[in-house]
Amino acid sequence: MKRITLKVDLSEARELLERAPRACVAFAGDEGPRTEPVSVLVKDDRYLVGVPSSAASHPTVDEEVVLVVDDGLQFFDLRAIYVRGHVQLLDEMEGLAGEMFWFAVQPTRAVAWDYAHIREVDDES
Amino acid sequence: MNLDDPAVADILGRAMVARIATVSRNGRPHVNPLYFVCGNGKIYLGTTDGTLAARNVKANPRVTILFNVEREPGDRRVLRINGNAKVRTDFSQNRWYVLRDLRKYILTRRGLANTLAHARLLLLVARFVASGEKGKACVFEVRPEEAEILAAPKQTGNDELSQLRLNPS
Repeated sequence: MKRITLKVDLSEARELLERAPRACVAFAGDEGPRTEPVSVLVKDDRYLVGVPSSAASHPTVDEEVVLVVDDGLQFFDLRAIYVRGHVQLLDEMEGLAGEMFWFAVQPTRAVAWDYAHIREVDDES
Repeated sequence: MNLDDPAVADILGRAMVARIATVSRNGRPHVNPLYFVCGNGKIYLGTTDGTLAARNVKANPRVTILFNVEREPGDRRVLRINGNAKVRTDFSQNRWYVLRDLRKYILTRRGLANTLAHARLLLLVARFVASGEKGKACVFEVRPEEAEILAAPKQTGNDELSQLRLNPS
């Protein structure tokens, strides 16, 4: 049995994280979703996320968040990395703290997709 | 701010990809990038009705959408719109959306060049869509309630990590 997929290995999309063309984090607020544009760094497979301290809201420790980094304008240039995880506070981040609130996302799920890599694969489900 | 505000309209006119955030029935967040078009004072985003975003919107219509100014790489403005969404599966709404989506994303010089450059993949895309793996085509119809313009933070390259002293708690 075959199926068609857009998913690629995270390592193939890693370069996206190096420059994070568009990045945002979403979390749940009292009345619905909240989302903020963010900066992203990757260190030792941890996703470090910076939200401007002027942002209307920040996620709290242990809160579930989704981080999306995406790129591309035209259909076959669209790529993204999707990370679902929980917020971990960083004790100190000298030199970068500045006007940003930084936290780490401990991933529970991370996937990447790339429309230019659409292909048929064996269905292992 | 509404969609007619010149600053809002300017960003919407330059933005190509919307990031729509939703929450599930039990309050779990989700966000994903989608193509969009504007019309009738609303924002329309194309997807399929089996996606997590569609299931979330059916459970909780509150959405938040971010728009970057992708056509101007140095422009850090980000438009954030909060509103209420409806999942539209009716043929007339989907046809209306598809025609505008084609005009915006495919029937342009860059869109056609991109499509032609990947012509070998078109059959796979058609089969993927026809498979219905993620449900039937649908449109999120978003009625904006609040709009604000933010500044995207500077993207900090990993090269700068070597200059940091990072002490996780």
